[in-house]
Parts: sequence; structure tokens; C-alpha cells
Amino acid sequence: MKRRSFLRKASLLPLPLILNQFKLSALSQPFLAGEMNDDDRVLVLLQLNGGNDGLNTLIPLDQYDNLAAVRSNIIIPQGDLLQVEDTAAFHPAMSGIRSLYDEGKVAVLQGVGYPQQNRSHFRSTDIWNTASDADTVLTTGWLGRHLDARYPGFPGDYPSVEEPSPFAIVMGNSVSETCQGTSGNFSIAIADIDNVGQLPSFDGGADLNTPYGRELDWLRITIAQSNEYATGISEAAEMGNTMVPYPENNEVAAKLQSVARLISGGLRTKVYIVELGGFDTHADQSVAGETGTGVHANLLRTLSEAVAAFQADLQALGLEERVLGMTFSEFGRRIRSNASQGTDHGDAAPLFLFGSCVSGGITGESPEIDPAVGVQEGVAMQYDFRNVYGSVLMDWFGVSEEAVGELLLDDFSYVPVLAACNATTSIGARPQVQSPDLTAAPNPFRESFTVSFVTGNERARLALFNAMGQQLRVVSDRSFSAGAHQLNVETHGLPAGAYYIHLTLSGGRRITRRVVKQ
Amino acid sequence: MKNHQFTTYRTVRNGLTPYSGPWTRQEAAHLLRRTTFGASYAQVTETVASGLAATLDELLQDQPLPTPPLIVSDQDGGTIGETWVDKPYYVEAGMGGVNARNQSLTAWISRLMTDEAFSIRETMVLFWHNHFAIRSIQEPKYIYRNLDTLRQLALGNFREMVKAITVDPAMLRFLNGNVNRVGSPNENYARELLELFTIGKGPQVGPGDYTHYTEDDVREISRILTGWVDYGYFNTRNGDFGSSFVPQRHDTGRKTLSRRFDLAVINNAGEEEYGNLIDVILEQDEVARFIVRKLYRWFVYYEITDEVEATVIEPLAAIFRDNDYEIKPVLAAFLGSEHFFDVRSQGPMIKNPLEFLYGMLRSLELPFRTNTPLRQVAVDNAVARAAGGLGMFHFNPPDVAGWKAYYQAPLYYRMWINSVTLRERGRIADVLVNIGADLGEFGFFRVELLPLINQFPTPGNLTAMIDELAGHLFPRPITQAQKDYLKNLVVPGLPDSQWSIEYAEYQANPNDENIIAALETKLRRTVAAMVAMPEFQLN
Repeated sequence: MKRRSFLRKASLLPLPLILNQFKLSALSQPFLAGEMNDDDRVLVLLQLNGGNDGLNTLIPLDQYDNLAAVRSNIIIPQGDLLQVEDTAAFHPAMSGIRSLYDEGKVAVLQGVGYPQQNRSHFRSTDIWNTASDADTVLTTGWLGRHLDARYPGFPGDYPSVEEPSPFAIVMGNSVSETCQGTSGNFSIAIADIDNVGQLPSFDGGADLNTPYGRELDWLRITIAQSNEYATGISEAAEMGNTMVPYPENNEVAAKLQSVARLISGGLRTKVYIVELGGFDTHADQSVAGETGTGVHANLLRTLSEAVAAFQADLQALGLEERVLGMTFSEFGRRIRSNASQGTDHGDAAPLFLFGSCVSGGITGESPEIDPAVGVQEGVAMQYDFRNVYGSVLMDWFGVSEEAVGELLLDDFSYVPVLAACNATTSIGARPQVQSPDLTAAPNPFRESFTVSFVTGNERARLALFNAMGQQLRVVSDRSFSAGAHQLNVETHGLPAGAYYIHLTLSGGRRITRRVVKQ
Repeated sequence: MKNHQFTTYRTVRNGLTPYSGPWTRQEAAHLLRRTTFGASYAQVTETVASGLAATLDELLQDQPLPTPPLIVSDQDGGTIGETWVDKPYYVEAGMGGVNARNQSLTAWISRLMTDEAFSIRETMVLFWHNHFAIRSIQEPKYIYRNLDTLRQLALGNFREMVKAITVDPAMLRFLNGNVNRVGSPNENYARELLELFTIGKGPQVGPGDYTHYTEDDVREISRILTGWVDYGYFNTRNGDFGSSFVPQRHDTGRKTLSRRFDLAVINNAGEEEYGNLIDVILEQDEVARFIVRKLYRWFVYYEITDEVEATVIEPLAAIFRDNDYEIKPVLAAFLGSEHFFDVRSQGPMIKNPLEFLYGMLRSLELPFRTNTPLRQVAVDNAVARAAGGLGMFHFNPPDVAGWKAYYQAPLYYRMWINSVTLRERGRIADVLVNIGADLGEFGFFRVELLPLINQFPTPGNLTAMIDELAGHLFPRPITQAQKDYLKNLVVPGLPDSQWSIEYAEYQANPNDENIIAALETKLRRTVAAMVAMPEFQLN
């Protein structure tokens, strides 16, 4: 079964006799065989709405001077940064996450995005939620497809004795598109775990002395009472515990604290989603002259302090090994800052994973910053986000590599993000992946350049992207014999400017090099 | 909403005074939602422009009768594309032919509700079907004729309708009129004629005395109605069927009603006799009150206070009587009254399943059209069955009293809602708005929201767009907190202006499928949240 087969929806209207002659395309269960029983595992998604400025989150120290040149109004003084590696530092507001990093509980992937980057908030959010190609519209979410395959009777057969809890919970007021399945959304929204089943409270509405107000009130109560999951969630909230103080006036912390309580209270929910908005920092993302402070700093502090408290709580509760956190955001921002003390919509950005099971450290290379970078340019993609999603599904939820390919990406390639305690025996121990080496010369070039790289006996795919993250052409995609190779890349007809050459080898090894046409 | 507490309610005391208040989308949509199975945005716009008087005229205008349902299966024995309502059965096909006709009939009524324009007629057909309820009649031709009678008289004369239904073949079978004969009377129809169809059962005030009639009346009336039979049930020789009067079965004795009917004496009049009886019953003032109360519960609210009784029911009943039981003058006065548009009359009706489902299809403009007539029958059946799953299927009210929501105290409309139907309503709404109904080769059906909001005056302004959507989907204004919540679903974590930017991008590239899909996703999640709000259950 190919991914396309998910494009159509199963019917939910009851069908009369006359329709019995054709069978609805009931989903088969092709993925179950490869799955392990990893029911204790919890994934916490932190969705950073608006497009997080990755270059102001994880600062490439090896590119600092160039970055300072193209972001002079927002660059944070190097001495204020929280250095974690020779070549990388966190934003000064991220001391909580830095401490976790030092404990090996943070994995960062550089340059996570997708080909043909779309810079619309709406469209790019859809792409991240559904894990579609940039030019394909999918109506199911990536987790929804995974859960559909695993629980084909949803929603009619649930809750059940085996699965009494909601599959996914959004700590907020609306369900998540990541969890949209073919027949229903696997997530439910909870605004307040101490008042589960209460609809979002909208006071000041109908007058109870009118017939309308009376009927509305009756409906509200009836709807609240009919929430089949409410009892289980309330019990978990009551039984659950929290062992450390969380920062106050921090919406993410309050939500993560609720998540910790629900997990420790025995809820069997597999996915929690917490959103934080405000990352669309076109203007005044930092304070002029005090660039380590301001809107973006406050957002990162909110996130960092909340994650640090949550992780400490999980450790105190003995739950650390059961919980994995992951951030995502619809895009990164431009390399050059704008004149409004802000940054505009860009392309790839770092993605963070949290937990005691992650392979701590930074994977991927610092984004290359050219002091002559164009105003339109974003950060080049190094990792397709679907390879990250798929690797999480494999390592965390025990989905087979083959099934991941069907759920997410035809040419899926594994990224080792959870080596510390990955779920499956089927994958086995994977060697740490080394980035391949690649040179491009001449650079800058006029019409063509030559790429040099080394392979084993394996397939290699070489593709050219423009500075907007759009894939322009596949230069080569075939098997190579072991040894050194050179390929000529012709750019006739392409305008002057920056391009990226992207090499992928088997086993998920990849590298991106920036080249400039004069 | 800010000034909500200070709204001055027009009081019920104004009763039937012709409505003269504001005429905006709020009032226009209220009228259309109550008198049709839901209105498109454009229909509300048109109604605002036409004004109340012209709209009422149009809603109450006589319409040509629809083309009868057609043969859709070679199991039927007839020619596909011709009507079956006058055709015999193909005996070899057994139940196959009957099933095909039932599906054709179900699809036909479903399509009439989906497509009806500015007319109250289908709503009134359902009202009368609920009033003169029949069920468990297997013969589709009988059901069709019963429905056709109700439709022909839906806006006509109530006296004529009672007379027609009294000898309607389906009713004769359903309430055993066909076995009611001299020497062995069957009281079933006589009792319901009084209790449910005309005068209603009052409090029991003495042995066998229900204020408006007595047990003796039931007995005498059953004698009056003897002699009627139906014929042609599942006729396989020809398409002929109907009812007839068999003089030998008729009780020709003298019948005397109780003092509740002023001791009226009914002499033998053969096949004219049932008509004379109905004229006698309709001389009682209570009949008009009884019918008008049912109309009130159908069009406004279940609770009939003393004040409503005095200022709405009584004057409407008088209009009904003064016009010799013509239905239109009652509806015109009622639906054009201050009381009907009173703010307290707006929104308190929990939608019945048909209003809920067809209302969604009509207000969100998803007409469930497919490409061939035969497929259309299948698709329309699927829609009708979905309503059945919510607790309301044509020709299948729970009993002769009709659907409980319209008479069963204390719950009334709340009868429609329980944990099962609530979940089913939510699921169906989610399917129509979000997921789409995949009927395989018959089509994929999902609401498209851009065509709707493109009709709004300023669709690119988020606040205005949400206001307009809320006004279109909800019977009363929602709170600012609700609107803020909905806005955040469109632009999560982003400023309102992001909507304007994305919408402008769409306007500049109106055929870009990626942009359309991205906007539709946001609108879908927003409208999905709206149809999940309890306010959406109200009408």
C-alpha cells in the first residue's frame, strides 16, 4: 500500500443496501507486523507557531562573524551566548535547555526542513502537520496515519478495555491536524485537566432566563457529561503527581505540568501536543542594543524553563525513559535580519528533541553564512523533517522502516536520534552516522562546477536546490562503486545567486554545500 | 454582545402584532431556518433585500407538485426512468422490487428537502407527517399517496386534509380502519382521530371523560367510520390501488355523540358519513387551539405559558376558525408576528435530525450531487440513512403520536440528544466539514468553505469573516471569547493580519491549489469547531 491510498477518506455515512455492492476501501493493516508493543512510550510535541528563528536559537559560532555581519541589528554578543560546543551556542535565555544538553538529554538536528520550502504559514504548517510533499495536499496527519494503521477500528471501536485513554491530547482548545486520521481525529483537546469535559468556558453568553439560554445550558452540560474519556482523564489527573516546582506565568510550563500529572496518573495517552505561538518575529524580535532580550528571548525562555522543569519532574517521577519531547515549527527565518529588528519567513531550522533516551548532541553542520547572502535566503535544508518523524516512529513507537516509508516518504532514510534506548529489536544497533565529505569547485562558479565525493558500493543521490529551498534538479541518483567520484553540475539558464548541492548516501548520510553562481 | 444585559426584549404581550422591528440577516436567517431545512448565505442575503412581507408571500406560495419518484432498478419490473407510483409489482423479483421502490422514495423525499428553495412546503409536509403519523406500512405506493395527499394540502384546508387522511389507504391499514365493520367495530382510528388528529385529549374529568371527548364518543365514531377498506396492497396485476366504501360493512344505525359535541346526532349517510362527522368535530373551538399549539411547538418553542396561550394561541386559533381552517392565514399571521421574531423565540429549538443534517448541507452548500440518476438515488439514500442514524427517518416515527420531541414533556426537543446521538451528530459534522464522505464511485463529498466566505462583504478581514460565519451558522450572537477562540484557530499564534495576508495571496492566485488547500484547512478546523459548539445544535 502506497501513501497515495491514504489520500481518499473512508466513508462515515451509513450506507444503504443499494451501496452494498461495492466495498469501501477499508484500510488494511500492513504496518502491524512490523510494530512492537511500545504502549508505554509517550511523545510530547511542542509546536512553535509562527516560524522560529533557528539562527537566533542555536547560534553557529564558526559562522559568528559572518552572521554578525548580516544580522548586525539583532546579533547577540558572543560573550552572552551559552556555548555548548566549539561551533555552537544557545540563546542566552535557554539556560534550562543548556543544562539538559550538558546532561546529554537534548539532541539537536541542524537544518530540518523539506524540499521546495513554502513560506506561507498556513501551507507550511499543513506540510509539517501532514508530512506531505511541498506540492501534494494530504488530508491526514502523520501521527493520524500511524495511529490509523495501528488502530484500524477508530473511532467506532474506542475507547476500549485495552485502549481506555484518548490516543492523543492537545493541551488547549482544538484538536491537532497531526492526529487527523481517515475516519476521525485521534486527538482530543483539554483546556484544564481539573475540569475535563467542560467545554471551553465562554462566559457572558446567553441569558439563562431566556429559552435559548436554558436550552444552551442544558446542551453544554449534556455534552460535557457525554465525554467518554472524561472520567479516565479526571482520575489520572487526581492520581497523578508532580514533584518539582514549575515556573509561574509560563503557559507551556502549566501545560507540561498537566502532562506530567496525566502520565504519572496512569493515563495511557501516547501523544501530547503543546503549542506556543508568537514566533512570527518580523519586527522587534529583540531589543535594540540589548539583543539578548525581547520577544524572541521571552519565547525561548518560556520554552526552555518549561522543558527543564518538565524533564526534572519526569526524572523525579521515574518516568524519564518513557517520554520523548520534540519541537517543530513551520519554517525557520531568513539569514539576513530586516530593518525592523526582526526576521522574515525563511526555510530550514534546527529541531530539538528532549529526553533521557535521545542521542545527545548536535547532528548536522552549522549553516553556512555568506556575508554576501541575499535578502531572500533562508537556511538550507540538511534533514527532511519526514526522516526525523519516521525515525521517531521507528525508534520510539517501533514502526518498521518499511512501514515508515509507506506512511511518510517513499525514499525514507533513517536519522539516528534516539540511539540511547530505541524501541525495536528489528532495527538493532546502528553505528553512528558520519557525514560524508563533499567539495564543490570552483566556488564561486560561472556556468558549472565539479562536485567531488567518496562513496562505498552504494546508491548516491545528488540534487541541486536554490536559495529558497526549492529542488531544481536531481544531478544524479544511481549506484556507485566504492571510491572517489566527480560529477559536473551544469547551471546553464539559472540566474546568479546562491545554490545548495545536497548529497545523500545510503544509511542516511548526507551533506549540503552552498555554492554561488556569479 | 457587550450590551447584552441591556437588550430590551420585545415582550410576548405584543403577540400577533405584525413584526416591525429590525430586518437584518439575524431575523432573515431566523425565518428561513425555521421555515425551510436551512438557508444558504445567498438566500439570506436575498431575504434581507426582499423584506419580510415579500419573503413570507413567497414561502407560502403554492408550488407545482414534484415529479413522482422513478423506477431505479430492473428488479422493479417496470421501465427505468418511469414512475412506479401507478405500476404493479414484478412478482418474480420478490422483495427486490419493493426495496428498490423504497430506496427510490427515500431518495426522492431526501432530494426534495435538499433542493427546496424559498418554500415552506416540505417543512409543512414533515409537520403533517408528524401529525398524521403512519409507520410500518410496507407498500411504497401507499406511502407515496399518503405523502402526496399531505403535500397537496400542506398549505390548504385542514378540514379537507382530515377528511382525506381518514380514508387514506395507508391510514386505513395502519389504524385498522380497513377492518372496522358493522357488528365488529375497531376503535383504533376513531380514538386517534380525536386524541391526536383533531381535538386532543384533555384532562380526565370523569369516568371515560377526557374534557373534549368521551369513551362513548370513541365508540360511536368507530361505528360512523365502518365500511371503509383499502385495496390493491402489493397489487401485482396492475397498478390500481386505493380505498373504497363497502355499504354492507357500514353500520347504518343512528349515532349520537356526547355533550362534549353538543349531543350531535349523525344519521346514516353511507360514504358521506365520515365527512359529516369531521364537520361536527371541527365545530368545536378546541380543534383550532389543538392544531395551533402543535404549530407553536413546531415553529417556536415547546413551552406554552399562560401568556403565550392568551396572546398567541387564542388569537391564532381564532384566525384558523375564521378562515374555515385554511392553513395559510394562520402561518402568515404567526410567522410574521412580533412574537415569532421576539428575541426569546430565537434559538431555543434543538434541531431535529433532519434540520441538523439537511441544514448543514444547505447552509454550507454541499448538495450531494452525483453524476447519474441511479447513483443519485444511492447517494440520497445515504444522506437519509444518516438522518435515520440520528433518530429520524421518514415514514418511521416511533408511533402514531409522531416524534416524541414534539409532545413528550418534560424533555421535548431534548429527546433528540443523548450520548449516542450526540456522538453521531459530532461524527457526521466532522465527516461533512473535515474528513469528507467517500462514497467510492458515487463520489467524494466534503464542504468547501472558500466559496462560502468569498460571498462575505469583507472575507479578508478575520474579525469580519468570523462574525459573518457565526451569524450564518448560529441562531444567536456568540460571545467575544468564542470569537477569539475561533480566530485563533485560523491564525494560531499569529496576528489577525496574517489571515488578510494569506487571503490576499489567494485572491492574487485564485486557482493555486496549494493556496486553496492551505486556506481550506484553516477554515475547516474553524468551522469544524463551530459545528461542534452546542450553539450549532440550536435553531
